[in-house]
Amino acid sequence: MAQDPILVIGGGISGLTAAIEAAECGCEAVVVEKNAYLGGRVAQLNKYFPKLCPPLCGLEINYRRIKENPRLTFHTQAEVTSITASDGGYNVTIQVAPRFVNDKCVACDACAQACPSERSDDFNFGMSRTKAAYLPFDQAFPQKYVIDGASCKADCGRKCQEACKYGAIDMDMKPETLNLKVSAIVMATGWNPYDITRADNLGMGKVKNVINNMMMERLAAANGPTSGKILRPSDGKEPKKVAFVQCAGSRDENHLPYCSYICCLASLKHISYVKEQYPEAQATMFYIDVRTPGRYEKFYWKVRDMEGVTLTKGKVAKIYNAQGTDDPVVVIEDVLSGKKVEEQFDMVVLASGMEASQRTRPVPVSVSYTPEGMIIPSSLPPGIYASGTAKSPVDVAKSMQDATGIALKSIGKLLSSGGAN
Amino acid sequence: MSGTTILKPDLGFVNEVIRSGGESLKKCYQCATCSVVCNVTPEDKPFPRKEMLQAQWGLKDQLMKNPDIWLCHQCSDCTAYCPRGAKPGEVLGAIRKMSIKEFSAPGFMAKMVGQPKFLLVLFAIPVLLLLASGAGQTPAGPVAFGKPHGFLFSMYFIDPLFTAAALFALVSLGLGVRKYWKAMAADLPADQAAKINLGAAVKETVSEILAHRRFQKCETTKGRSTAHLLVFYSFIGLFITTILAFVKVILEPNTGYLAFLGHPVQIGESAITGLTVIFKIIGNASALALIAGIFLVMTNRFKNSKKAGVGSYYDWLFITIVAGLGITGLLAELLRISNIPAAYPTYVIHLCFVFFLFAYAPFSKMAHMFYRATAMVFARATGRG
Ligand SMILES: Cc1cc2nc3c(=O)[nH]c(=O)nc-3n(C[C@H](O)[C@H](O)[C@H](O)COP(=O)(O)OP(=O)(O)OC[C@H]3O[C@@H](n4cnc5c(N)ncnc54)[C@H](O)[C@@H]3O)c2cc1C
Ligand code: SF4
Ligand code: SF4
Ligand code: SF4
Ligand code: SF4
Repeated sequence: MAQDPILVIGGGISGLTAAIEAAECGCEAVVVEKNAYLGGRVAQLNKYFPKLCPPLCGLEINYRRIKENPRLTFHTQAEVTSITASDGGYNVTIQVAPRFVNDKCVACDACAQACPSERSDDFNFGMSRTKAAYLPFDQAFPQKYVIDGASCKADCGRKCQEACKYGAIDMDMKPETLNLKVSAIVMATGWNPYDITRADNLGMGKVKNVINNMMMERLAAANGPTSGKILRPSDGKEPKKVAFVQCAGSRDENHLPYCSYICCLASLKHISYVKEQYPEAQATMFYIDVRTPGRYEKFYWKVRDMEGVTLTKGKVAKIYNAQGTDDPVVVIEDVLSGKKVEEQFDMVVLASGMEASQRTRPVPVSVSYTPEGMIIPSSLPPGIYASGTAKSPVDVAKSMQDATGIALKSIGKLLSSGGAN
Repeated sequence: MSGTTILKPDLGFVNEVIRSGGESLKKCYQCATCSVVCNVTPEDKPFPRKEMLQAQWGLKDQLMKNPDIWLCHQCSDCTAYCPRGAKPGEVLGAIRKMSIKEFSAPGFMAKMVGQPKFLLVLFAIPVLLLLASGAGQTPAGPVAFGKPHGFLFSMYFIDPLFTAAALFALVSLGLGVRKYWKAMAADLPADQAAKINLGAAVKETVSEILAHRRFQKCETTKGRSTAHLLVFYSFIGLFITTILAFVKVILEPNTGYLAFLGHPVQIGESAITGLTVIFKIIGNASALALIAGIFLVMTNRFKNSKKAGVGSYYDWLFITIVAGLGITGLLAELLRISNIPAAYPTYVIHLCFVFFLFAYAPFSKMAHMFYRATAMVFARATGRG
């Protein structure tokens, strides 16, 4: 074969876009994704701003393009463990963890029903539980169940295996090591929600009914822990008064010094979720300044003008539990009136920022990062590129644009080192 | 808002704040985290966000007549949580320094105390005065201080010198405090000014200061209130000691001032001894508390330096003087008891520190207690808590 494939690390919207664009141009592309499904963070969103359409629509199109394209292959539950330069390209080693379920799976759910063990559902940020044999979420791609080796105690006599009529469960699956020669590498490792428990004044994990914005996405999503009904975690009450705390851990030297770009929009979107379900609800967004770049400004106007929506200038810097209730109380200085105010809510949503996933789990390649773990593109070795939120906090549209450009660069690299067919 | 407000920014002032330890001032982006985490501020028009804005805009007048700058106890909770590293606690500290300079007369002294380059001159004054009074000599015989015709031969010179320094300081402080009060009160509506109950406000403030109630609300620099309490009470103790010692040198049957002036009082030897024992006990206990307290102040500053900053020249000058005062005082006493002649120069150095503390009190951080107390009284009297 004349060409070595392009390796894409990270199967989020950015990585998938880069891989699909490259494959549709006739190049070989391999996606390595550490989750058991493709789609990344976008799969966890309920709706996309600004149009508020379901992100799974967009993802579905991409899944179809992947299925239809023989030049694109992917590995889930996989991570790159070494990268070494070789012949103008790179030799890479990929570790694939065992899924314990093979391609015969038809996602009939029998194994999960039979399985006696449970695990915390990380897809829903621990707000629900799944069996040790589970499907990450209803529209997960690939549509294959997973058995979580750490939660399966295998003392049930392999009930799942018994239940599976398709011979899809293989508990003897072993970790696999793959060695590949690739022509170019795209790092599209994306982001994680900033661990906002580190801001000890914001109450996350200590004060009841304080959640982060990604949890809000899951609470509102039809395939989420509450089947799409927004209910507060402590007692399942319908929240009729919700606070949105902007810049929770962003624009803050003690946490993430940069603006996370999307969290003002995310909160405005969340206000629209709340208002859609509870038209009489009150929502207050506490901000330093509202940042809705470019054409997103219109979305801001729309939400701002909704009944029952208040935007208050003043950063929330203290949250505590109102005595004898499950209600959180936020403390701010209302900058415009110059008064320190405490206000009680049913639920508080912290607009926590995006932190580069490289900060906690760097890919083994020599590259410089900003102190916050964002890849500095100019420091990348030749033939290695970074795309999407691995580089800077951006929205989906920008991640995809970026990925398209990066696909072109990778193709260029590939052409210069052998040529596509 | 109606009408037009014309702001008159004083850029020189902004730069001075920056030079006085408020380098980080311009980083503030007005998020108001600081006002929220501050446990000391009143709820209405809280500080320190508004002070940060006033300082950035160079609104010197507003800051100088603002009681809030002194209600702040620089516990640095705001600095620890400020997302921009704007260090509001430190900036307020710098503004306080400027407020002392603004109100304490004569102004050139304030300038000198505030700038390291004048440090030598400031120290030279007590050194020269003491040397002129003969403090350079080492008299023969067992080591003893303050004998009228022994070492520091002339306590008739030394005592008036220190009394004069203390009086100067008191007058200067009194005038400064009065000016500050007037500045604060200038904007009060007449009906509110008429309602002021000064007596009650003073009483409440004193009880609050004695208990350090406000100070104890600080979180980031928790240990500071204990350290400050120690120093504070040791100062009170040393003040009482000084008064008692003074009473003694006035009354002593043969060598006292009254005897010197030809009006000896009839007082028993035992009364004088009793007095001496009492002030020695209070004095020594206070000295130990002072040293312990100031040591805690220093260690706290270093311990919290990451979150709260180490402090400015102004802070450290004061800390050093207090520490120097305590240590040389104790050392001189120990050397004297051990009959080691090195006690004399040590005592002279000690007196230099005493002079520094007293004479420059209106301009050094020592003045903080007077201005802060004034601001606290004003705040109480005007319902600002
Ligand atoms: C609350 C919230 C709401 C949002 N709502 C919107 C919205 O409505 N509209 C919008 O446009 N944007 C929205 N965003 C932003 C959007 O989520 C991001 O723009 C998008 O996820 C970026 O995609 P990505 O591919 O760069 O990163 P990711 O989605 O994070 O994908 C990265 C992928 O890489 C994988 N990975 C990471 N490290 C490795 C590794 N070492 N090896 C293998 N795989 C790895 C991850 O598992 C993941 O699948 C929102 C963000 C937040 C926080
Ligand atoms: S593994 Fe078997 S039982 Fe489980 S979902 Fe797949 S096909 Fe059904
Ligand atoms: S997008 Fe909004 S909430 Fe997010 S960091 Fe920027 S300003 Fe703060
Ligand atoms: S000083 Fe810091 S915390 Fe206070 S308003 Fe300015 S940036 Fe915010
Ligand atoms: S230093 Fe302490 S008292 Fe002063 S403003 Fe900051 S938090 Fe308040």
